[in-house]
Amino acid sequence: MANPLSDSSQKYDLGFARWVYQNVKGGDKLSMCMQCGACSGSCPIGTDMDHGPRKLIMMVRAGMKEAVLTSNTLWNCTHCYRCTVRCPRGVPVTHIIQGLGAMAADLGYAREEDTVRFARSFWWSVTHFGRTDERLVTAKYYFSFGFKEGARRGLDNLKIALGMIKKGRMHLGLPHKVAGQKDLRAILAKAAEIEAREMKEGSSHD
Amino acid sequence: MTEDGKDKGAKKKFVYYPGCSSQGSSKHLDESLRAIVPALGLEMEEIDDWNCCGASVGNIGGGALPATALSGRNLAKAEKQQATDVITGCAACYLNTHGANEKIKADIALRGKINESLAVADMSYEANLQVRHACEVLVNEVGMEKIKERVTHPLNGLKVAGYVGCQTVRPFANTDSGGNYDTFDDPEFLDQFAEACGAEAVDFDVKTSCCGGSVSVISPEKTLHLIKKILQAAQDSGADVISTPCPLCQTNVEMYQPAINKKFGTNFNIPVVFYSQLMAKAFGLDGKKDAGLHRNTIRSKKLDILVRNS
Amino acid sequence: MSSQSMKPGVYLCKGCGIGDAVSVDTLEQIASSEYKVAVCRQHDFLCGDEGRALIDADLAEGSVNQPIIAACSPRVMTDRFTFDGAPAIRANLREQVAWSQPAGEEDTQMLAGDYLRMAIVQAAQTSPTVAAPEGEYSRTLLILGGGSTGLSAALEAARTGYEVILVEREDHLGGWAGKWSKTMPHLPPYRDPQPNTVKELIAAAEAEPAITILTNAVVTKTVGGPGKFGVTLSHGGELRTEQIGAIVVATGWRPYDANKLGHLGYGQSTDVVTGIELETMLGDSPLQRRSDHKPAKTVMFVQCAGSRDPDHLPYCSSVCCGVSIKQALQITQADPGASVYILFEELRTPGTAEEFYRQAQEAGVIFIKGKVKSVSADLGLTYDDALLGEEVTLQGLDLVVLATGMVPNSTNPEIEPAETGAGQLLDDINPNAPLPLAIRIVDNSGGDARPAPVEISATNGTGAEVGPALPGGSLLNLQYVQGPHIPILADGFSDSHYICFPYETRRTGIYTCGPVRRPMDISESSEDAAGAVLKAIQAMENAARGAAVHPRVGDLSFPKIALNSCTKCRRCTIECPFGAIEEDENSFPILIESRCRRCGTCMGACPVRVISFDNYSPNMVIAMIDAIEVPDEFAEKPRILIFACENDAYPALDMAGLNRYQYSAFVRVIPVRCLGSVNLLWVSTALEKGFDGIMLMGCKTGDDYQCHYIKGSSLARERLSKVGETLKSMMLEEERVTMEEISIADSGSIPKVINSFVETIERIGFNPFKGF
Repeated sequence: MANPLSDSSQKYDLGFARWVYQNVKGGDKLSMCMQCGACSGSCPIGTDMDHGPRKLIMMVRAGMKEAVLTSNTLWNCTHCYRCTVRCPRGVPVTHIIQGLGAMAADLGYAREEDTVRFARSFWWSVTHFGRTDERLVTAKYYFSFGFKEGARRGLDNLKIALGMIKKGRMHLGLPHKVAGQKDLRAILAKAAEIEAREMKEGSSHD
Repeated sequence: MTEDGKDKGAKKKFVYYPGCSSQGSSKHLDESLRAIVPALGLEMEEIDDWNCCGASVGNIGGGALPATALSGRNLAKAEKQQATDVITGCAACYLNTHGANEKIKADIALRGKINESLAVADMSYEANLQVRHACEVLVNEVGMEKIKERVTHPLNGLKVAGYVGCQTVRPFANTDSGGNYDTFDDPEFLDQFAEACGAEAVDFDVKTSCCGGSVSVISPEKTLHLIKKILQAAQDSGADVISTPCPLCQTNVEMYQPAINKKFGTNFNIPVVFYSQLMAKAFGLDGKKDAGLHRNTIRSKKLDILVRNS
Repeated sequence: MSSQSMKPGVYLCKGCGIGDAVSVDTLEQIASSEYKVAVCRQHDFLCGDEGRALIDADLAEGSVNQPIIAACSPRVMTDRFTFDGAPAIRANLREQVAWSQPAGEEDTQMLAGDYLRMAIVQAAQTSPTVAAPEGEYSRTLLILGGGSTGLSAALEAARTGYEVILVEREDHLGGWAGKWSKTMPHLPPYRDPQPNTVKELIAAAEAEPAITILTNAVVTKTVGGPGKFGVTLSHGGELRTEQIGAIVVATGWRPYDANKLGHLGYGQSTDVVTGIELETMLGDSPLQRRSDHKPAKTVMFVQCAGSRDPDHLPYCSSVCCGVSIKQALQITQADPGASVYILFEELRTPGTAEEFYRQAQEAGVIFIKGKVKSVSADLGLTYDDALLGEEVTLQGLDLVVLATGMVPNSTNPEIEPAETGAGQLLDDINPNAPLPLAIRIVDNSGGDARPAPVEISATNGTGAEVGPALPGGSLLNLQYVQGPHIPILADGFSDSHYICFPYETRRTGIYTCGPVRRPMDISESSEDAAGAVLKAIQAMENAARGAAVHPRVGDLSFPKIALNSCTKCRRCTIECPFGAIEEDENSFPILIESRCRRCGTCMGACPVRVISFDNYSPNMVIAMIDAIEVPDEFAEKPRILIFACENDAYPALDMAGLNRYQYSAFVRVIPVRCLGSVNLLWVSTALEKGFDGIMLMGCKTGDDYQCHYIKGSSLARERLSKVGETLKSMMLEEERVTMEEISIADSGSIPKVINSFVETIERIGFNPFKGF
């Protein structure tokens, strides 16, 4: 099979769709979508997306790889799961959008995307402490935009932060750490290794 | 003696997964849950050395299998603590942990991969646990009658808008594995909790409207209008407080009110409390230590009066 | 039966609320005092065994031979109130009195009394009907068409015990269905294309001794009626005439001419094919292009090709979506690497076909909703993609398949459908349609009929000459005054009215089934065949008993024409919806009995009223009108007469009663067989008698007609339009006579329709002729 992720000027070149079926969580159900639009109709933020979930799924089938992986649909989704529970064909729309987002991030399409920055900060906390330290994650996220922008965001949200501190809802001491942190890191590394192995072999995620 | 050798008079034990927000932004959820669950006759023991569940960005940050492995470690730990049920109060923690658990139970190949990962730390998960949301436990295990009985200080005259949100009920509340305890679009349990506590549940038809979830934390400019919708409905309904089960909803709906007022010219100042805080108060427990009411940034005068007079 | 030998007996039921609504004693008084009926009985529960015994005893004793049952509607309890040799007359005191009027009121009592009176005089005008079959009746079924439908029909008939002659114009059986590589699934789980079983159907038919199969054969002429059809066949260069009991037309369809689809690429490239052509290309090995035999890796199906298009076929052929899905699955099963797309405007996958659709999706077939704009010679296809919201061009497809529609063979497939065929519906339902050129016949045995003019020779699909071409390409060349064709309902399909009368053709004893009557697939057509055969058998058997078919199944009465008073105006001949009246050599009307449906349209048409049935006649209805008591104007009780047709309007009135809808007690309902049987004399008689208003209530007219006798109700409307003149000359308001179209489903509007007419009458005032 030709490189399934290569750019095709031909719409409906099924290489991309078939790759998504196999490699995106829930992707195998994507072929069953009947384009009824219940998902787009249910989406609380659908009108603010480049393409609603229904159209996005059709774009996957139409092989519009670039458009799919650069759309803001992947990042505007709030994971409210309305689409998933209402889909008459049982397509796990939320998971597919998340999976496409992960694919976009992996392939370097969304390096500067807010959510991807946040995810990087988040994962840093998880691998270092085993826990999410809310203030450190937030700080790291803000400053990923650069010092000036980070400071600006910090100041913007200062009032909220102070409020939280006053109410004892921000942990001020050293970050909570999981005792088995080394173990956790090893487990996560192993999982990543298995995942990479499977990707090479072309079998499905999860 | 019960069939599994337990003392019949003993309380049912749940292994408790607090989640990362319990350490900071949602301390009051943790505190009030720890107070009311034993008060209702159940035992809760924290998972030993639990780690983060991955929330909504674990997939992107670390990959799908590693994100699942986070829950794998929690479950492996929990399995060792002489209980069959895990309980959690956080919607996202529940989504991830319950979701991972169900997949691990159903998919042998996945279970193999998870255990292969856990093996590097000499751990394994045999898939013997059930993961349950605290609200489902209160509905199915405890029951409204028992909750009512426990109330000694009814919250008379308090008008409560029950804001359920998304991930608490979707996609599991209507499924067998999720306890089949309420519906996706018009859940009643939160209103029933309020009424059991002697309060009045107002008509609130945006009860499952999305607050924007993690997008509100990461890029609030995208979702402020969603939160405004919720606040507007609460204000229109004449509610004194908004009650909610979800840490993210509580924080989003509470802390963005000034920003929303600035952007939309509104004047919201509505207290947002956890249902467990109301219950703790109604059970006559301590307003600070147990109900954590001092942690809400927007105080409810009415609730404060009720607290004072108890 | 002479009036001396008539012995009426009145039986009044008090059950079902009748006894609570009216005084039954008072009713009995009417029977015994006013009409001197010798035997009058009451019972609380007349349909029960005890009540029946009461009647049986009188009948056995001989004191009664005309039981008049004043109880529930004549539409119900027919099994309880049917007496051998003593036809029952029914008065509806339940649905149309007790259930639709307030109990105990004076007007309710008057209503009940009048209905009893009407029944008693009706009995006096009723002679028993006697079955009078004459001559030899055939029980052989002719099936025209040896495709899957015709074969199924033949087997159904043979296995039910009837002889069959199967006529097929080609040299082989199986039609189009026999050519398919595989068929759509008809067994659960309905997911995979299935082996074609038409071969087995052919083998079974050939092995069946009761079926005579004639290939290379056509019908050249048809005379007669059910039980007595004379069908002339051309077979093997010879003409022969068969005596046939009933005819089932299963001539099927032909594919729409793809040469008209140049705008979709057909003819521009050999790699643009129709779905029919694709069938011969499908097999176990991967599909190949026609041009260079390279593998067809990308295949695009274009649905609705030349269908649902005012410039081509205006209708949907219903099976093409399923067929394309089947073919798409066959392609992917032979080559899992092929990319198959189905471009549709709407996708029709009803019922179990939804499973088939899901199977195709699972197999990776991509369904695209959109409308084709153009197809280029190098197979570039441009279309409006409705799902992506933009125009898309796909370059270099390997194969384009056009899913074309089905054209019914309601006329000879070699000839373009003739105008007379297409205009048939209008002629049939139009009360003013001119009489087609009459083909006079001497008798109806087909012996000396003038042969049809020979135009060109008819050939079948393989070019073999099969016989003389028939006028306008008609399939049966009916020697009927109504013309040679089997009627068409819409879009060229031979049908009657799909809801009310499936398989009917508006020609008694001739039925259609399969794709000639509407587009359908193989499993539907075998079900259709069974339905048509059932009706055909009923037609043959009833004809042999002298009994009618649908809708007055079993009716033994016939219209009798008193020729000595006939003025030869020919109205009965023209207006009979079934062509059951023709002309003899002296231009007098003669009845082709087995075509008659006993509707009485002829009776309504005759200006001199010389046509009547033994149990339904102009005099009978006049007597019923006269029997009704019309109070003078000082009583302030108007009287409105309603002629309600028994197929739709009368049941609607009953249903209104069933639902306890209340309406004015000033109406008096006379059930008629069809509004076409309403003679204008009844209207003028009623007006002279002092009725304030007259309403004709019957079935829907027009293109979408529901009149069970095709044009009876539109004839009535036409005739009423002429009544306006008469009314004016009598100084009466035109609003006094009206017609309402009521279907059986309209019971909810009965109170409104009746009450607003009563209001109109009250507004315009009483009939000035009242009391004269």
